[in-house]
Amino acid sequence: MKLNTKSRFIAFTTAAVAVTSLGLFVTGPAEARKPFTQDELAAQYKELLDTVKQGDELWHSAKLGKNGLACANCHPDAAAANPHTFPKFQPNLGQVIPLRDMINWCIQVPLEGQALDANSREMKALEAYAFYMHRGFKLKPGENTRQHPPVEVRSGPGYP
Amino acid sequence: MTDFSKMSRRDFLGFTGKAGLATLVASAVGTSFGMVQVAEAAGNARLTPFRFAILTDAHLYDIPDHKFDGILQKAVEDINAMNPPPDFVVYLGDIAQSGKRAELEKGRRILAKLKVPLKVIPGEHDWYLDMGKAWRDMYGSPTWSFDHKGVHFIGMNSILVRDFWTLKSLTPDERMGFMEELECHQCGLWGVRDEQLDWLKKDIKKLKPDTPVVVFTHSPLWDYYPRWNFQTEDAPQIREILSGFERVMAFHGHVHQVVYNRIGNLSSVGTLSTSWPWPYPGVELPFPGIRMNRVDPGDILDGLGTQYIDLEKEFSGVLHYQTWSDLLPEGVKKGVKL
Ligand code: HEC
Ligand SMILES: [Fe+2]
Ligand SMILES: [Fe+2]
Repeated sequence: MKLNTKSRFIAFTTAAVAVTSLGLFVTGPAEARKPFTQDELAAQYKELLDTVKQGDELWHSAKLGKNGLACANCHPDAAAANPHTFPKFQPNLGQVIPLRDMINWCIQVPLEGQALDANSREMKALEAYAFYMHRGFKLKPGENTRQHPPVEVRSGPGYP
Repeated sequence: MTDFSKMSRRDFLGFTGKAGLATLVASAVGTSFGMVQVAEAAGNARLTPFRFAILTDAHLYDIPDHKFDGILQKAVEDINAMNPPPDFVVYLGDIAQSGKRAELEKGRRILAKLKVPLKVIPGEHDWYLDMGKAWRDMYGSPTWSFDHKGVHFIGMNSILVRDFWTLKSLTPDERMGFMEELECHQCGLWGVRDEQLDWLKKDIKKLKPDTPVVVFTHSPLWDYYPRWNFQTEDAPQIREILSGFERVMAFHGHVHQVVYNRIGNLSSVGTLSTSWPWPYPGVELPFPGIRMNRVDPGDILDGLGTQYIDLEKEFSGVLHYQTWSDLLPEGVKKGVKL
């Protein structure tokens, strides 16, 4: 992945200008910049979808653990992973945790595997897949009362 | 673990409804043998009451001392310890995880410890490595029927898909790999297909409409959630063929969860696995009260279990889920009326 710091900066300032024009912000950048072109946006989205796809493959792979199981054994289409309910208190860990800690817990307990480095490529991909399968859901940090099905998938992997 | 000695016969009777006073008196005496006799004396019996058990979806891996081996073993021991014992056990598919002969052999060794006869139908995990060769070597035909104490039992293979591998030149391992995923998007819908539909028509031809009929398939005989093959494509034809009977009870594996439906004369009940529970898909349940609780992922026995069915003389009955955890809402703990 290429890190394009310039276009990231532009994205930020563009959003800020939009807010300023609504009069919600008193201070803002002095200068408007051009928004992303359609091509730039498409390239960024493709990066995301590539990461989601890597996450999908890991989610369905036994190599994260040692007993042959994959996340998908128990979480088809990322069901019951409830990413939008994190961070939250997990009784089995006794503290408030982000999604990645729960992913690591499931790697270590049901899969009997080694926890991933929280900043690893693999962890980012697993998170990307879990979140993408819940796109459009309302954030509900702390919700610990429900199990959620993912977005409705009729055919294909659940993403473009 | 369910302690049968603590399970009140009254709970059970409360759910069967039709049981009647004579039966209640018999059960108060506490001998099920006595209950059977009283029930028969009351007349109009279509069957001699009895119990059978269902085990399913062990998903054994070809890995020594895998955790799922122990769970299946435990389930077998529980069924062996039942009092009164079931007359037989039916296994509803997915003995193996990846269709390997070694996995199926391991399953057969564990299931051989059952003290009562066993009938088996296949699941997709048993089948798509060698297209059912190893499974058939062990269990023979996946399509069968038999009569027991007045009830006609039918087992069918509901996991047959259209060929998706030849055109793509997939290897047997690749084909199995696809089928192993619940949300496989290459595999298409499952069904029993024409040959078994024809067999079914012939099989039931001579039965009277008031014959108690029980059907076993791996997948549900109704459209629950096709994305995960929680369906059987030709279930409408199956239901049509069986529509002449006063009532039909159907039991299925594959969903690894508590679920119930009733369509026309057919009641359909899902069963607990001995491997892992599946979450509920994003559709409304037809009977929302008949479900299981959320599962604690830290307890390897949570979400799992076995089940037994007590059939009564007029072909009513109750299915009891037996779990090793606090999985069932109060209403379901008492059993599901069939
Ligand atoms: C053997 C079954 C099993 C496997 C395999 C498994 N999990 Fe879980 N996991 C569960 C169960 C059961 C829950 C609790 C579900 C619920 O809340 O209803 C759970 C919960 C979770 C949660 C938290 C949901 C919440 O709201 O608290 C996340 C995130 C999660 N799993 C991710 C994963 C990932 C990622 C993998 C693969 C590395 C994985 N799981 C593998 C059984 C499993
Ligand atoms: Fe299964
Ligand atoms: Fe299955």
